[in-house]
Parts: sequence; structure tokens; C-alpha cells
Amino acid sequence: MLGGLLVMGGLGALCGVGLALASKIFYVYVDPKHEAVTDALPGANCGGCGFAGCAANAAAMVAGKSSPSSCVAGGPDVAAEVARILGVSVEAREPYFAHPGCRYGIHEADLKYLYSGIADCRAAMILGGGAKVCPIGCLGLGTCVRACPFGALSMGTDNLPVVDTERCTGCGTCERVCPKHIITLTSTSERMIGEYVTDECTAPCQRSCPTGINIPAFIREIRNNNYEAALAIIKEKCPLPLICGYICPAPCELACRRNLVDEAVAINPLKRFVADHEMRTGKHLTPFKAPGSEQKIAVVGGGAEGLTLSYYLARLSYQPTIFEAKPQLGGILRYVIAEDRLPRKVLDHEIAGILEVGVEARTNVIMGRDVDLMSLFEEGFDAVVLSKGGFDSRQILQPNPSGYDASVPGVFTMLDFIHLLNEEKKMDPVRRAVVVHSGLEGLQLARRCIAAGTQKVTIVSNLPFPELPVELQDSKKLAAEGIMVRPSNVVIGLKGISKRLVRVSVEETDPEGGFFGEQETIRTDTLILPAGRLPEFVFVRTQQAEDLEPGEIAWETIETFRTFPGRNDGICTPPEPGRISDSSAVVKSLLSGRRLTRAIHRYFSGGTIPPLDHLVCEADTVLDVAEVHDVGPSERERPAILDVAGDSKRAWIFPSEYPGLDEASARREAERCLACGLICYRKQK
Amino acid sequence: MGDYFTLVIACIFVNNILLIQYLGNCPFLGTSKRMETAVGMAMGVVFVLVMAGAATWIVWTFILKPFGLEFLRTLAFILLIATLVQFVEMFLKKNVPTLYSALGIYLPLITTNCAVLGVCFINIDNEYTFMQTLVSSFAYPVGFGLALILLAGVRERILLARVPKPLQDTSIGLITAGMMSLAFFGFKGMV
Repeated sequence: MLGGLLVMGGLGALCGVGLALASKIFYVYVDPKHEAVTDALPGANCGGCGFAGCAANAAAMVAGKSSPSSCVAGGPDVAAEVARILGVSVEAREPYFAHPGCRYGIHEADLKYLYSGIADCRAAMILGGGAKVCPIGCLGLGTCVRACPFGALSMGTDNLPVVDTERCTGCGTCERVCPKHIITLTSTSERMIGEYVTDECTAPCQRSCPTGINIPAFIREIRNNNYEAALAIIKEKCPLPLICGYICPAPCELACRRNLVDEAVAINPLKRFVADHEMRTGKHLTPFKAPGSEQKIAVVGGGAEGLTLSYYLARLSYQPTIFEAKPQLGGILRYVIAEDRLPRKVLDHEIAGILEVGVEARTNVIMGRDVDLMSLFEEGFDAVVLSKGGFDSRQILQPNPSGYDASVPGVFTMLDFIHLLNEEKKMDPVRRAVVVHSGLEGLQLARRCIAAGTQKVTIVSNLPFPELPVELQDSKKLAAEGIMVRPSNVVIGLKGISKRLVRVSVEETDPEGGFFGEQETIRTDTLILPAGRLPEFVFVRTQQAEDLEPGEIAWETIETFRTFPGRNDGICTPPEPGRISDSSAVVKSLLSGRRLTRAIHRYFSGGTIPPLDHLVCEADTVLDVAEVHDVGPSERERPAILDVAGDSKRAWIFPSEYPGLDEASARREAERCLACGLICYRKQK
Repeated sequence: MGDYFTLVIACIFVNNILLIQYLGNCPFLGTSKRMETAVGMAMGVVFVLVMAGAATWIVWTFILKPFGLEFLRTLAFILLIATLVQFVEMFLKKNVPTLYSALGIYLPLITTNCAVLGVCFINIDNEYTFMQTLVSSFAYPVGFGLALILLAGVRERILLARVPKPLQDTSIGLITAGMMSLAFFGFKGMV
């Protein structure tokens, strides 16, 4: 008995002392704020913040790794409470809402079979991917509705989920349970910088619009008599709707599914109709501005691309300033396109609308003469964007005293460089040069450089070695001359210090696609591009750089666009540099402006641009239909032309005099829209 | 070596702690609703049992048995396991925070787990040597994990099936566990 007591007492005492000691030795400080923050959070464990439950996010908030406003379910009240506990200020956050991506319910869409199993989308999905023919069609069994922790979803009469934006907190639970990934979170800024991919529901017109206006959506708003909402939808992708309404070549109308029945819906006139409606009111639509960013961005070039870029930067609450060489903004729109086609009052109206959003503009400023990278960085700009437009505009819009484009130190277009050599113009000595070229002209230029005293020339070519001209394959002989050839490589960026170029980044390409190649940098002071103009560049300051002297600023370019994984064309793919977009129409420049915004926003919000899989505009095949059924013909509406004699439909008048659609005919025209999805469209009952 | 192999097979399949010995059925049903929690629990049990098996064997062999205090083993082992789990938790929190967060809530849960205590008793009752104790303390929780993960897989599928209302959730879980147990009886007589 006594022995037992002693042993148990001894064991107990030993364990107690051991634990007491251990708790001292292995003491881990736990912040009392952690508990307070956990209590303040809603405790729904919805995972909308991206953490595994409220406690995990509370820990991240206390550690400063997560923002107090990161709780999407709690909203501003919880954010304020958490900020009070942590003693920090809370920044405003853009609301995200669930967005059901399917527009035709199970009773209207084409079906593979009739499903009468368990009423759960995940179960229905197991049976051949669901009953719908369309692989991304909503199965309508309401899994998302039941999963929503806030009761914000309900099932509409058409068997599609309906979002109550009052209740939706943007937690993303529906997005996670939907087996088809149809219901997704979206926000205005996501849409502004977004691109379409093949596995989302898009209409043919929407896909063929270079800047990607959600055409069925805005036409639906016209049908609903809500012209301002229609304009807001257009302005998510196109900041110049009225200008486009006048001069857009409207590739959307070529793609319109109504062409299979009678004639395309008058998409461009409808767009002009809502934009005209805004102009008639005399006020500009006040667009939604996403809070959160405050960097100052210098935009060099005030044409369609620069204006678009500045508009979207301003809507993402950056502070853009346009530097324009000409006395007025507008670029090609103002100085090249005939006034007969584009009335200047329309242009002024649109530009005023862009400036109103929060864009500054300085005119008569030439990059390379009045300002340069150094002076802009010193003035406090966080990034400098070169968006000087199409090559045909170079001589018209950018008078340059030096006779060449001197906006980027050490970067020349090939023609400019040859011209400088021929004219024996005074220029900085070229010690090392990189020539981007795959042909004999590049080799010839490299040899001229060597003759003029350059130590080393690197020829960068995107062609693989066996496809190069035979002269470029003799690497031994070329090396003896001081020329190095890099096949299967593209230039992807520049690094420099103050007013000199220091390095050029190259990346190995794989013509088949499939992997990202090695990245390397080549030391050089001159880069010669085989293009008619300089590509779009986004310059940012960098911290570290070798041999940086006091007072100097190190800079580099960021990647502006990347399409498929493993496929990268660098900054100077023929025929046009950049691959962001060519500038063959205003609407294409709008696209490149939006893409630049995306690159800049990704950079400043702490990420890189993810390569987009299945980008719609690059994809070979998108699910589509070749014929339509149950659609009756109806005549396309044309504006009534009153003051021209004869048959109004055939009379020639200047496009600028061409009146827009009146309200009645616009409404009738909007009814003609088939509201297409990938394979669905509105059928007559 | 062959003996150890037989021991492992016996512990995992033939004498499966959950399905044959019916020890630790509380976490068996409690943590088998989702695969993630099942895996976490399985890892936690393996971790704790290897340590607890060794510690209880030492206390049994060098303290309780020499002093003739065998009747105190339940009390002593519970004390020991609880202390050990607490200690391990503190140690991990300080030194291996990644493992600590991976095991999460399951570590303290195991403190009061009868499967852990049961395996310690089995080790003593069968008069295993220290090496045998270590092997069986590892193999039993592996069997525990196996049964748990199997059940979790089945229960995740059951979620999609139409189960009569009175049988939903724990009821159907118990029925499933019973049928799994019947299946495991097929191993009887193998060793």
C-alpha cells in the first residue's frame, strides 16, 4: 500500500516537475491579440480569406501577413474592429461578388441525357460530366445555393443561381463547391484587366472584339432600358465607346451568329447609341474606382493606347500622368484620322471623360528631349510606361531633334541605327551591342559595328540553330570576329542604370512550346531591334544593381505580356514588337493599353503576370455552332437619315454626319440579339 | 526478422486495433468524415503511440514489476501518456512548428484515446521485449490509420448517396464500420 502510494506519488511528482520544466524550456510566446482577433472574426470558417479557417487568418493578421480587411465575410465592421485591436489603419477593399457564368438553364440548353438522380451537381457531374452538351454549362441542382454560408444565393426560375449582391460577401464558397467552376468571384477591376479564356462562356462577338467588350451583356441592358449600366459594361473594356462607335471596323459584327440567319446585329451602332446617350446628357458616367493603389505612373504617349492605359490605371486608383509630344492629346485619333470620320467634338468629349477619372496630362513634352527615365524617376514616378503607338505614327507624332527615337537609352530600331551609322552622326561609342535579327542584315550590321570599334556583338535570334542562315552557323569564325550568335532566344527585358543600358535579359524559347527556358542576362550598352518602332516598355526602379554609384538610379523593365506557358515571343516579334497587340485599329490599341494596365497592376500588387492558358484570342478552337435553328429573320435597323434626298439606305454621306440609332430603333435592334453563349442562343418559342 | 514481420502483419490486419479489438472507436467515427482529418489523426496516433509504447514498457519493467505494483498500471500509464502527449506538444510547438501545425488538434485528442492505452496493455500482456514493443507500437497505429482512412474514403462516397433519413451520418458510419469489421475477420487465422 505504502509502496504503491510512493511510486504513484513519485511518478506524479516527476511528471509534474517535468512538465513544469518543459513549459519553461519550450515556452512559445502567444500574442494575446491573437485571441482577441479570433473572437472578432465571424467564425464562419468560410475560407474566403484564403486561410484554413478564421483562427489561421487571425494568426496571419496578427503577424501582419494578412490585411485586417481580408475577412470578406465580416465586411467593413469586422475590419474596423480588427484594425482597432491591432492598432493599424484599415484600407478600403474592393468588393468581390459571386458571378454565375452560365446564362442558359437546363431547360433551355442542349442536353445529352435526362438526369433524375441525386439533386447535387457533384453527383450529376460524375455521370459523363453532367447532362448538358456544353462542358461548362450550369447543371442547376443548387449545390452552390446550399453551400452558401450567407444565404446570398437562390435558384432562379430558369434553373440558374441568382446572386443577392446585398448578402454576398465574396467568400468564394460557391466557387469552391461548384464542380464545373462556373460560378466564380469577380470584381470590376478583375474584369477591367481580365482576358477571356476558352473555358468560360463567351459569345462569338465578345471573343472577336479585340478589346473584349461583353457585348451580349450591354445589349441586354439596352433591352432593359438601362443605358447607363450598358455604358458601364462597355467601359470595363473600352474607355472610348463613342470613338469606337464612329470608327471601329467592328469585327464583332462579322462574328455575329445572326449572320447565319439574316444580317448581323448592329453592335457598333448600338454601342454608339449608348455612348451618344451619355454625350447628350453632357455628363460623364462616374465609373467605379477600385481602392488600394496609389503609385504614380508616367505614361509616355497620349494616343489611344496611352489614354486607355491611363484610364484603367486611374480606375485602379493609381495616379497616371500622360506625357504627350504634341500640343493636344489624342495621337492618331486627332492628328491622322480625318475629321470627316471622327468629329473632333466627339474626341474632346471622350478625352475629357478620361481626364475626369483622375488622369493628369502634360503636352508638348518629348521623351528623350524634355524628360527622360532619370528625370521621371527623380520626379517621383514609380513606373514609366512607353506607349508611343504604332510604327506608322512615329515620324508624324514624335518629332525628335536627334533624328531617332531617343526615349530609351541604348535602344535603337535597326533602321535608325543604320541611318546614324551612314550619316556618321555623333553618338556614344558602342562597346558591346546586342542585335536582334535572324538574317544576313543582322550579321552585316554586327560586322559594321565591329569595324566601327565595338568589342563584342551578340546576335539574338528566335530561330533554332539549324534554321539560321549558314553564315550565322559558323560560330568559330564569327567568334574570332567578336560576334556571338544565340539561337532560340528572345529578348525579354532591359536593365539599366540612370542614362545607360547595362544588361539585356534573354530567354530560351522552345518553338514547340511546353516549357519556360533559361533566363540569362547579356552585358551590353546597345540594343538594336528589327522593328519600325520601340515596343511597349514598363520601366520600374530596382534596388540592387552592380556598380551603382551614388545618385544613380537602377531600373529595369517588367514583363508586359505572356500567352501560353512555354511560349514567349519576347519584346520584338515581327512584324510588330511586343505581341501585346498590333496597332492596326484603334480598338487593338485599346487592348494593348488594357494589357499594360494588367502588367503594371500585377507588378505593384506583388505578383507577376500568370501565363494564361487557353487564351481565347490565341486559341485554335472554341466550342461554337455552325448553324442556328428556330430563329426567324428580322431586318437590321438603320438610322433614319432625314436631310438626304432619295433612298436613305443607299445615299452617301460623310460618316461623321451619319446619325446614330434613335431610341426606338435601338430597342428594336437590341431585341434582335441572340444573347449567345458558347453553344446556346435565344430561340423563338 | 521473420517474427517481426509476422508481428507487423498480425498488428495491422489480423488484430486490427479498430476493427478487431474495437479500441479507439470514438475517433474512428469522429474523424473519418473527411479524408484530411483522417490522415491527420492517423499520423498523430502513430507518432504518439511509438513514444507511449516505449515509455510505458520502461515504467512497467523497471518500476511497477520489480516493486510488485502491477495493479497500478492503469493509473500509472494514463498519467504517463497524458504527460508524454503534453510534453511532445510543447516540444513540437517550439522546435518543429511545421509538424505541430500539421498534427494540429489531433495531438491533444490522443491523450484520452483508449487505443493508445490499449496497445500499451497489449504490449505488457503479451510480455513483449523492448524491440517487439517498439514494432507493435508502430504497427498497431498503422492498422488504426489504415482502417480510419478506408472508412473516411467510404464515408466521403456515402455523402453522395441517398441514405434513408434515420440512418444518416453516424448511423450509417457505424453500419459501414461494422461491415468493414466483418471483412477484417477474414484475416483471422492467418497468423
